[in-house]
Amino acid sequence: MSALPSTPATARRRVPAIAVVAFIVAVAAGLLVPAVVSSQLALTLMTQAVITAVLATGIGFLMRQCGLTSFGHAAFFGIAAYTVALNGKFGVLPTELAIIAAILLPAALAFVAGLGIVRMPALAFSMLTLAVAQAFYEIMLRWRELANGDDGMAVRLPSQLFGLDIETFQQPGSMFSVCWIVLVVTVAGLWLLSRSRFGLLTVAIRENEERARFIGYETVVPRALVYALSAAVAAVAGVLFVLYNAFVTPGTLYWSLSGEGIVMAVIGGAHAVWGPALGSVIFFLLKDAAGDLTEHWPAIIGATLIVVTVLVPRGISGLIIALFQKLKGGRR
Amino acid sequence: MIQVINGLVYGSFLYLLAVGLVLIFGLRRVTNFAHGSLFMVGAYIAYAVAAYLGFWGGLVISVMVLAALGVLLDRFVFRPLAREDAVVTLLVTFGLLFVLEDAVRTIWGKDYLTVPPPPLLSGVIPMFGSTFPVYRLFVVAVALAVAAGLALWLRYSKVGLYVRAASVDPVTTGMQGVDTDRLSALVVAIGTGLAGLSGTIAGPLLALSPSMGAFIIIDCFVVVVTGGLSSFTGAFVAALLIGQVHNLGIVYVPELASMLPLAIMTLVLLLRPRGLAGAGR
Repeated sequence: MSALPSTPATARRRVPAIAVVAFIVAVAAGLLVPAVVSSQLALTLMTQAVITAVLATGIGFLMRQCGLTSFGHAAFFGIAAYTVALNGKFGVLPTELAIIAAILLPAALAFVAGLGIVRMPALAFSMLTLAVAQAFYEIMLRWRELANGDDGMAVRLPSQLFGLDIETFQQPGSMFSVCWIVLVVTVAGLWLLSRSRFGLLTVAIRENEERARFIGYETVVPRALVYALSAAVAAVAGVLFVLYNAFVTPGTLYWSLSGEGIVMAVIGGAHAVWGPALGSVIFFLLKDAAGDLTEHWPAIIGATLIVVTVLVPRGISGLIIALFQKLKGGRR
Repeated sequence: MIQVINGLVYGSFLYLLAVGLVLIFGLRRVTNFAHGSLFMVGAYIAYAVAAYLGFWGGLVISVMVLAALGVLLDRFVFRPLAREDAVVTLLVTFGLLFVLEDAVRTIWGKDYLTVPPPPLLSGVIPMFGSTFPVYRLFVVAVALAVAAGLALWLRYSKVGLYVRAASVDPVTTGMQGVDTDRLSALVVAIGTGLAGLSGTIAGPLLALSPSMGAFIIIDCFVVVVTGGLSSFTGAFVAALLIGQVHNLGIVYVPELASMLPLAIMTLVLLLRPRGLAGAGR
């Protein structure tokens, strides 16, 4: 868990050409997929996969930069979804502004909480994030007058959003492209950040907090910022979810959603910023392949988690990176 | 007043589970995410056995099976992963949680099951102007007995001394010639055995469902963190406190009840960053 990032980061700060190419190809692919894939069912599944991939990316980024495993990111996902939903009910803000608020609010909550909890031992952090998230779930479950409790609430959305027809967000074909581009931009942004001074500083703190402090760095605020950022990413996923489904239930806050995100991040490997997103795709492929066995899906996913954690601690992305470096022929 | 005693009952449960987590954390410096699931498995085993051997037979078998599971858990999960980061064990036991829940759901189905209390304890007694089930008092008595037993064992027996030493510093204790692996198998077995015990006595009180473990583990985590991770006394005090707050919360402010234990925990952690029993800073 404590190995240095595979690239000695000071060596090359410039963005390699392959990353730019990968970015352009990824965006183009996202626009082309709906034209190629005609099955609505497949598109629906893929859209879900991409939305959860955004959540997993948020969880994975926190793991990567701070070595902290949050078991409560569903809270940020759900709070964002409920913010949009409740705004629709009470009509406080124009929906565009509500969406921005839905992303900023969880980030602010995470930042304030983070100032306190990022200092705790990694285990206590995991336990606390779980407990806090579960508390939000219980509130939405019990407070029927606010959001209709367990039955969930339909979300009222305007017919136009950011100048686009609302249908854009609710047809799997177009929504897939929207979510995909959000995912690609998020991963790219986080990847750039992870190479920046700030990204390197947080990794240094992860490796040895005391030493970073002795060199003269403030160590709490940077970690709280990473936590806030990863919460914001989870919130983006929550916003995509609510736009796509126009319906929200307390299930969006439930710990099993956080759990799924963690499983994806671990399978994909959080050492690479893009690993969790890959993990999410594998997760959904597995789920699809499991077919009749989906009744036992929890056991399958639990067993997969155990096997990957023990045997492939760097996840699939770790394997891919190792393979890639081998192909380059021992240049390093 | 009755509500206070109900809070005591819930606190007793939390204590029986949380102390298991504390024991395991002390020796292995890891958190067993599947502890709540073991509690749930214990409850189902007791349910199944009680059909043939009655409540008390179920109690004994459940505790024994769970203790055996604990030995396996220590041997095949905690020990091989001892050199890894604690988060690795957390993730593995998290995976185990999914597997156990699914196994129980497959065997017993996902509907709620109930277990009647044993005939000996099924009555009610008058108390503070109303009546109160004897069984609930029994739960409190069991928790107190376990707390007292554990305290005496840790304080006065040689093994107890080793356990205390190891929970301060496992490495040094090992260097002094204590076989921490054997010790750990014993301690984990006691911890999971207690999960079996509390699962069994939960039967007549709560409805059995495969998700009951995941539900209770969250309050347990709050208790353990509030108490200060590796403190037995801390866990005891925190369990009673959280049990009380949880219960009164559900009665008086149901919407916000789930927030109250967290509020208490936050308060405690602000005043004492290492928990109730945290040693200095």
